[in-house]
Amino acid sequence: MDDDDYWNTSDTKAKAFSFDDDVLSPQEILAIGQKTYPGQKEESIFSSSSISTVKVAQIPLMSLVTPKVLDLILLAQSGKDPAQEQSQESPETVAVTLKRLVLGRRCALHVHRTMKSKTELLDGAVAIGDGNAILTVVLFLIATLNKKLVYELLSSRLIALNHYISFLQNEGKITELTDLLTMLGRSPDAAMAHFQHAVKTQGNNVDGLLRKVTNILANHFNQPGVDAHQTKMVDAYVKLLEWQKLANLPELSNRSALQCLAYTCSRHWTEGAGAAMSPLTLGQRQQISPLQFDWVVLNVHAKSGKWDILESLFTKKDWLGRSTVSSHVPAQCLLRRLSELGASSRLMAACLAKLPSADERLALALNYKVHCVVIQTYAKQKDRLALTNYKMTLNPQSEEYILAENTLRDPSIKWKN
Amino acid sequence: MDQPLNLKLSSLSLISQNKLQNILSQCGEKKDLIIDPSLIKALERICGVTWLRQHGVDKIYKMDPQLGPTANANRVYFIPACIIKYKCVLDQISSLISQNPSIADVNGFHIIIIPKVLNSFDSILESKGLYGVVKLHAFAWELMVLDDQLLSLELPFLFKQLFVDQNQSLLSGVAMSLWTLFHVTGRPKVMCSFGKFSAGVLDMLEIYNETYSRNFVDTNNSRDIGALLVIDRTQDYASSLLTPATYSGLLKEIFSINCGFLDLNVKDTKVMKGKLNFDSEQSNESKSTAMPLDSSIDSLYAEIKHRHFSEVLSVLSSKAKLLKNEDIKALGIQEMKHFVATKLQQVTLFKQNLVNHVLACETIISEMSNRFENLKLTETEMLNNRNKKTNYNFLDENFGTEIHIYNSLRLMCLLSLTQGLSYDEYNTLVNKYLLAFGYKYLYVFNNLINSGLLIQPSNIKLSLNISNLSNLSDKLPKWQNEFQTAAHKLKQLPSKPDDVGKSSPSYVFNGGYIPLVAIICNAILTSESLSEVLTKLSTLTDFKIGGVINEKLKDGVETLNEKLSNLKVSNDLEFGCKDPKILSKVVKSDPNFCNLFQLKPKTILVFVIGGVNYAEIAACEVVQTNTGSKIYIASDCVSNGSDLIAAHM
Repeated sequence: MDDDDYWNTSDTKAKAFSFDDDVLSPQEILAIGQKTYPGQKEESIFSSSSISTVKVAQIPLMSLVTPKVLDLILLAQSGKDPAQEQSQESPETVAVTLKRLVLGRRCALHVHRTMKSKTELLDGAVAIGDGNAILTVVLFLIATLNKKLVYELLSSRLIALNHYISFLQNEGKITELTDLLTMLGRSPDAAMAHFQHAVKTQGNNVDGLLRKVTNILANHFNQPGVDAHQTKMVDAYVKLLEWQKLANLPELSNRSALQCLAYTCSRHWTEGAGAAMSPLTLGQRQQISPLQFDWVVLNVHAKSGKWDILESLFTKKDWLGRSTVSSHVPAQCLLRRLSELGASSRLMAACLAKLPSADERLALALNYKVHCVVIQTYAKQKDRLALTNYKMTLNPQSEEYILAENTLRDPSIKWKN
Repeated sequence: MDQPLNLKLSSLSLISQNKLQNILSQCGEKKDLIIDPSLIKALERICGVTWLRQHGVDKIYKMDPQLGPTANANRVYFIPACIIKYKCVLDQISSLISQNPSIADVNGFHIIIIPKVLNSFDSILESKGLYGVVKLHAFAWELMVLDDQLLSLELPFLFKQLFVDQNQSLLSGVAMSLWTLFHVTGRPKVMCSFGKFSAGVLDMLEIYNETYSRNFVDTNNSRDIGALLVIDRTQDYASSLLTPATYSGLLKEIFSINCGFLDLNVKDTKVMKGKLNFDSEQSNESKSTAMPLDSSIDSLYAEIKHRHFSEVLSVLSSKAKLLKNEDIKALGIQEMKHFVATKLQQVTLFKQNLVNHVLACETIISEMSNRFENLKLTETEMLNNRNKKTNYNFLDENFGTEIHIYNSLRLMCLLSLTQGLSYDEYNTLVNKYLLAFGYKYLYVFNNLINSGLLIQPSNIKLSLNISNLSNLSDKLPKWQNEFQTAAHKLKQLPSKPDDVGKSSPSYVFNGGYIPLVAIICNAILTSESLSEVLTKLSTLTDFKIGGVINEKLKDGVETLNEKLSNLKVSNDLEFGCKDPKILSKVVKSDPNFCNLFQLKPKTILVFVIGGVNYAEIAACEVVQTNTGSKIYIASDCVSNGSDLIAAHM
């Protein structure tokens, strides 16, 4: 496209470019950036393939490190013994073993048979802080010591204990983990470990989850010390899974309560309380707060364009016949969402009417371009100047333009300016 | 070897390449590479496809549990040190062998594990009967230069392992990367650690030094790096939880950034993905552009990355105006030819970057603008422990309406850390969250408590009944202002957030908070003596100091053997670094301690264990300018608050 043509196309002209302003709008910058030069292919602008191959300056490897050092770096990564050291067998003391563990070299743990050296190994590994060494020693102790003795050692060494817990969890050895935690008097943690294991292994299988979670609730979440609210949540989970089993719909398997509520709102809106699939029944069963309930209803119906439902639900006529909005969603938040969802200006106006402060109402009406509210507010404030200015920004011959003109001509208003 | 430091750092990839070459040479002549998708971008920074072909790689596949037979008998798997992914590979190999038992004998199976092979991997191999059939190789790639003065190990799973699972197995990988780095740059004179993991890294670094010192003795201090600071993420969670105000920080909030490449997907941002989706239809895959966040490639990014977001569009606008003036129509034929030959490509690239940045800005505005002001205000009030009730109501409304799977929890954690949550408030939020995203996430809150991001309030009524009275003091709510007390002592909370200038690092959080890393760098760079540093940082309990000082304080030749044999139960090792308290005697007699803190060169390397964020990087740049120094930032990855929260799921 020719340069001049570009600037004269209706699309760009309509946006009223003014390059003399200090700051360009994003659209203006984009227009400049996307302007093509002759001979340049259109599509190259958004493809990134051409730019990622910028060569980075580098020093040759041999002047970065000496060959000897490079060999050392490779040796350290591999965890192998240096060639010259292989012949000389040093006695396998606790310190030697630990050092070899940290370096990732092979080591003979089995030579440490006394309780003293086993304990020293564990303390040394913890003090160094290398998790790989810690876990290796713990697993060695498990293999060679009576479990009770190991648990005693671990109970006073929290870091080592945490490594073992993390290992059991990753390995899915949930029974051993529960035994360990129960023995240490940490039954709330055992309950949670069981729960986490169940939800991570069962996927979205409602039957499996229901069986597992019911079982965990009965056997672990009723232990003393378990937080009452956590138990309540697990109980609510069981109730939701029961409902999902009843509904028997694959798309609802292990979905959240609000996602299920959204489904019932869109498919079973008219069913009254008591019916299994009624939104009201689900809301009550899951004790969904009024705010969350309204929020879901708002989003579901707005997205499917059922504004009539929303208007009858959220607006009420007062005794003067004016409609006001009644919702648990706070007004500011409601307005923002309604605007994003493309609500009618009538609904927006009704929502604005709920705001007690006129200044706030005006600011929000301006922000969301609810013209009738802006015009009414200016009229109420008897601010002819502001209204006249506002009229200029409106599209001539539009409904709101005519409303503004009529308001300005209204003889009953005593303008202050 | 006196090359500039940044050139040395960008050449580290050659060492990585050499390490990989060494491994590939042990894997047979012709082989297939099967790579975990999360590692592709990082591998691209080390070598290209052509290089891999030169080293015997025939076909490259993405790791997929369903992957069937491949072109060659030799298979090289390339995976991170993650037990689940590792087991998945072993299962695949087992099933291949069960179909064709003869392939077990050809030594054709190799697994390259980033960054190291854990001992438990060896035992798993043995227990699956694959010992001797499959060979494991550790590949500890070096720090990668993502951007000017920004290095990363690209191990994004490290935070989860270290802080959520409390498994320190890969900590030695961090130590090894520093050990290799110091072969290139020399050892810094000063090393400091802040936090338990950081101290561990310095201890292990010293073990590497001791072990390999026979082969390599260079006692000279580094001429490139004056000081190394290693910091645990736990030391400053607030910097991760707060919403950044800088351009790069906000990019990270909206777009996914992997290994320094931003995925410019304006249709499906991170903010949208995390919200409750009420539409039944899935959003279709939209085409998106990969955008390198590297100042050396994109000069425009260099200019705007650390700017407060409010300034970015005007900078872009001024650039666009300059571009407009480059009117080539006015050029003659010869000039035109010259332009095409020399400048056209450059201009085209610049325009492309300009367009991408504007698109990114527009997306940030449309996603954040309607709540950014309120969010920033609430965060600042939380930091200063004001209007707790209003802050809680803001959070409660957010949980009830536009709840976000990560960001809502992030704000809850911030409130919990700064002002505390009562038992009832805590449970109300938990309940709303679980209703929205599913009860299955109940364990997430326990994980957040374990990693210290969330403080669990105790049920006072209940605990009075069941525990004896001597435990009562533990059960009562903690002094709520702990956060503010610590932050005030370190001067992290500017008194007038609204008029902080460009010279305060707090601009990265709209003037509300200075990241700890910037405070520490500033203290180290502006102190004249050891005693001054110790005074300035005295409130940091996990502060330890090593480097030259460690060697001077050794009682004779203190080897690891001696250290370990004198170890007392549950004491720190203090092999690579020391508690500054034992230094007080030394400091009294010699406050300067061999001029330790007159750093030469005035260059600091900061390594954050558990992910650094863009706001911290920007804040350090302010300190760098104020002190006339150079601050290099390194970490295991560049993350933000929602990444931290996601690691708990």
